[in-house]
Amino acid sequence: MHDIVDLEGRGVPGVFVASTEFVDAADAQARALGFPEVAAVFVPHPIQDRTDDELAALADNAVEAILAALLP
Amino acid sequence: MSPVAVVLDPTSERSPAARERVARPSSLAGLTVGLLDISKPRGDVFLDRLSVLLTARGVGSVVRYAKPTFTKPAPVDLRHEIAVKCDVVIEALAD
Amino acid sequence: MNDGAYAVVNGECPTCALVRPLLGSLPVAVVDEDTPAGLETSYSLGVDTVPTLVRFADGAEVERLVGWDRAAWSAFFGVSGLGPDLPEWRPGCGSRVVDPAVADELAVRFGGGVLRSRRVELASLEDEAEAMFSRGWTDGLPVVPPTEARVLRMLAGTRRAPGEVVAVVPPDLAECTVEKVAVNAVLAGCKPEYLPVVLACVEAACTSEFNAHGLLATTYFSGPVVVVNGPVAARIGMNSGVNALGQGNRANATIGRALQLVIRNVGGGRPGGVDRATLGNPGKYTFCFAEDEAGSPWEPLSVWRGAADGVSAVTLFAGEGPRGIVDQLSRTPESLARSFAGALRSVAHPKLVFAFDAMLVVSPEHARVFRDAGWSRERLLEELRTLLLLDGAELVRGAGGVAEGVPEAFGGAQLPKFRDDGLLLVHAGGGAGMFSAIIGGWVNGEAGSQPVTREVGE
Repeated sequence: MHDIVDLEGRGVPGVFVASTEFVDAADAQARALGFPEVAAVFVPHPIQDRTDDELAALADNAVEAILAALLP
Repeated sequence: MSPVAVVLDPTSERSPAARERVARPSSLAGLTVGLLDISKPRGDVFLDRLSVLLTARGVGSVVRYAKPTFTKPAPVDLRHEIAVKCDVVIEALAD
Repeated sequence: MNDGAYAVVNGECPTCALVRPLLGSLPVAVVDEDTPAGLETSYSLGVDTVPTLVRFADGAEVERLVGWDRAAWSAFFGVSGLGPDLPEWRPGCGSRVVDPAVADELAVRFGGGVLRSRRVELASLEDEAEAMFSRGWTDGLPVVPPTEARVLRMLAGTRRAPGEVVAVVPPDLAECTVEKVAVNAVLAGCKPEYLPVVLACVEAACTSEFNAHGLLATTYFSGPVVVVNGPVAARIGMNSGVNALGQGNRANATIGRALQLVIRNVGGGRPGGVDRATLGNPGKYTFCFAEDEAGSPWEPLSVWRGAADGVSAVTLFAGEGPRGIVDQLSRTPESLARSFAGALRSVAHPKLVFAFDAMLVVSPEHARVFRDAGWSRERLLEELRTLLLLDGAELVRGAGGVAEGVPEAFGGAQLPKFRDDGLLLVHAGGGAGMFSAIIGGWVNGEAGSQPVTREVGE
């Protein structure tokens, strides 16, 4: 989150991907950094114990939202 | 002296007060996409798949980066390099 | 306030404690500063001492007493011998309203309603200095965060109403109120007593004659240069002496800066946007100084430009950075004038004439030469006009192997370097040093910028 906020400040459109566990914390962080509208995409928790195939599926399901966040 | 919380806007107030996202490109075709791994376990697998998907969609190129640790912001040199080399950036995967 | 008598007290003041028992049996409403409503009433009544008795009749204040005094209180209430076991008199104490620890907070709480600017909340993790930079409100140097308390203090420096429109600021042509100037004056680091000068600068800069829009949008070097005349300069501690054009004096530095910040923040004029200067000059951060009138052989610049003598005024000039003239040997005015003319000839380009104005800052050691010879401002200007009447043949394009120059058609004429009134003389600088300076102007005339002189109000 800090990194995306910093990179946006350097002129690089960015998006931050996190698990759904992170939704409230991400919102609070973004507000605390003065950038509530920062682009964020959330994927279903959990992450740590997923198989490679399950993680690939998370990416397949998230890619549209990620692209949308990087385009107008 | 308590920290400053509210200030008055010195501008003509024609732009929104809240910080806005930087302007987006109209398409990613031909552009360099940076993938920044925050270095939490399993995030690399997610980014591997994302890299394949983006390449299939016709982005110009995909460049992988990784922070030394997810517990701190990325080092300034890394942020500078991304800003110089990449047109857009995706940071993943926090949980 | 409704008609009647009021007694403003607080719980900390011993004199208030002394008179409290009396108040219950008198026709008076007790205003307790220790309650929110009482504090606000005390603030609006301007009470600086407690206890204070105030009487309102027919909607207006008719009587006010401060402290305890048996005779005065008895007369106030039309009874005799009030408080027989109290001393004859006791002074009061400072009211809560004037307590320095809370004065700012109260000013904002009760007086902040006059402020119309959008409130911007800084995020909890934002450093307030960084927040100014990240919002693009600075000229590249740090600014003072414009809190409500600071802006209210700044507004106390003028009698003008905060909502009054001062100017329409280019390039965005945004209306600029006294309040907006005050916010930017806070950013710049001004003191409240500088505000009237800043207001005059903004008014002058936004006239069509000064043409701030053109000045901003040009690729040329110039920015607004401010010369301050009149009693205000000394009153606010401006520098007209040693290092007058340089750093170190708060009033010089922040008044010029406030003007630039108004143009940037209110007008929307910034480098890379409307400001396309090829090189610019460091004076675009700030360029403001006072004329040394006491030591000058001549009348103040503002008077020469038509303002009344003894009246404070600012003169705005579209100028580039200063260039030095060395002359450590001239003892006669004729010789020194020739040194000046030689240097002035090259303003903008030695072969270009008439289109550019210039300001000549004459230092005390050089001014002395003219004073000793009895040369008035007009006498010196006349001499310079003669010396700077140039031979067209030397100026035409191609002459001297230089492509730049005046069109062929002017080859046979005698051409003045400057238009009439195009050379502004100002007296400033430290007492030691036989150096003067030229501040070259931008293009004059309709398409360019004319100098503008404006009185400083209150």
